[in-house]
Amino acid sequence: METGQRRSTLEIGVEGEPAYVGAEAILYVVDWFGVRAIAKYRPPKPYRHKVIDEDLRTRRTIVEAKALHTARSIGVPAPELYFVDPISKIIVMEYIEGVKLADIIESNLLEARKYAKTLGVYTARMHSSELAHGDLTTSNVLVTSNKQLFIIDFGLSSLKASERDKAVDLHLFIRSLESTHPEHIEVMVEAFLEGYSTILGRSEADKLMRIVREIRLMGRYHEERRRK
Amino acid sequence: MVNVDTPSSYGNPRFHPSKLYPSLSWDREVYVLGIESTAHTFGVGIASTKRPYILVSARSTYKPEKGGIHPREAAEHHVKMAPIVIREALKHAGLSIRDIDAVAVALGPGLGPALRVGATIARGLASYFSKPLVPVNHAVAHIEIARFYTGQRDPLVLYVSGGNTMVAAFAKKRYRVFGETIDIALGNLLDTFAREVGLAPPYIVEGLHVVDRCASEADDPVVLPYTVKGMDVSYSGLLTAAIRAWRRSKDNRDKARICLGLRESAYGTAVEVTERGLAHTRKREVLLTGGVAASPVLQEKLREMAKLHAAIFGVSPLPLAGDNGAMIAWVGLLNYLSNIIIEPIKAMVKQRWRLDNVEVPWR
Repeated sequence: METGQRRSTLEIGVEGEPAYVGAEAILYVVDWFGVRAIAKYRPPKPYRHKVIDEDLRTRRTIVEAKALHTARSIGVPAPELYFVDPISKIIVMEYIEGVKLADIIESNLLEARKYAKTLGVYTARMHSSELAHGDLTTSNVLVTSNKQLFIIDFGLSSLKASERDKAVDLHLFIRSLESTHPEHIEVMVEAFLEGYSTILGRSEADKLMRIVREIRLMGRYHEERRRK
Repeated sequence: MVNVDTPSSYGNPRFHPSKLYPSLSWDREVYVLGIESTAHTFGVGIASTKRPYILVSARSTYKPEKGGIHPREAAEHHVKMAPIVIREALKHAGLSIRDIDAVAVALGPGLGPALRVGATIARGLASYFSKPLVPVNHAVAHIEIARFYTGQRDPLVLYVSGGNTMVAAFAKKRYRVFGETIDIALGNLLDTFAREVGLAPPYIVEGLHVVDRCASEADDPVVLPYTVKGMDVSYSGLLTAAIRAWRRSKDNRDKARICLGLRESAYGTAVEVTERGLAHTRKREVLLTGGVAASPVLQEKLREMAKLHAAIFGVSPLPLAGDNGAMIAWVGLLNYLSNIIIEPIKAMVKQRWRLDNVEVPWR
């Protein structure tokens, strides 16, 4: 989405250039004590009641900060957390230069397959620490120029993830492939599960996939559901 | 009771159909009669290639005295009302069944017993009067009638009703579902809550849902589960929590605060996943359709969200937002002009006919 906004001073006192306006947050590129950083601000939404909006934005800001911290501490590459302010709903974090995994599947499937496997490893690490990402789409995985994967956007994470929450990670990964690269779903998912198995074992990977299938059948009007 | 809507109640489409459907031929005068019977409404509409395009929308809705829709009772209602609704539609259009070029029917998705009534009648009419039979997907019809009347070319759609909650947009010959409910539908959530706590039936009073009415008495909502999973929503936890909170409530003030909390979580999550879909697809238009589109509160929230992203907001004309036969007639017409017809013997109902399984040739 076009930003349509100018350079401005954030509530936490730093100046920033709006770099991206998403559905939920505005990302500013800021200078954080001499380091180039991202300030993620969750603006109020006029379509939500004030009380619910405030509660939600506060909770999501805190959860995201905690999730970023947890991810880093268990060996999942995610932006380093620099600062969090639940009052102004701002998180300042490491600036990651990279391209979305979604954008490289087309050009280099072989490489994308390797990334899917690595993503499987990282996801298994998160899941073994009861962390589920909550929005694990191919747009929320960045690939840097030295071919490192970074997982971003932990705003919908859950820190005490249930089996269902964990399966939703894979479900959303598959969903994002469906809307952009339906022809590569099988090879990408296989690679993901291969990586997942190296950490948690094949039986956990199979279990994850089984719950994913259940979730998929919960969508309305699936032919397969009738055969059960 | 049969409710009859004519152009005086739903207005005129924004543009000549050739603007939205340039691949179809609009020169020949064609009339299609459409039959809707997927759930509680038996509806009949008549669409034409010529002004006013939708000549009439007649319907009769089964209203359970208590509880939700019982599929068999809905089917019995449809059987009883079908001949009356069909005659009313033809009468208001000033047409005889012989003037009709094709019969269209919603074959799904929906409740089996209810669907079968419409399908049986449509097969019968088509066979007896030797008219082509045109299959229509109910969800496509909700989207397309709204698109035609608002003139939106390529919207992100929020389709919300008693049985459906989905965010869809057109890509590669189909309406793709970007997000949906993973358990119950938004309309079902509001109705079930209202019924369980004794606010309904009736569900709609003076044009407003009873949950909306109850919520308007409060300023300060009880915070209830607000569940967004990626681009999907979930309402079953919200329903349980709201009913539990209600049973613990002490006075009417508490109750109003629960209604407000329920409404805000329900509409808030629906609008939020639409916003996510908008950011993802980068569409420039947002279109609201389905029975719950009648909620002024939901309309206002979606309008505000669209404004944030400089997108144009549109909503289906309300008489054509809920289930009706006119939308089936309209898509029946589009399908017929695209040569999509089905032999009556093969026209079986499809209870789980997903929106994204339908190839749309006229877009």
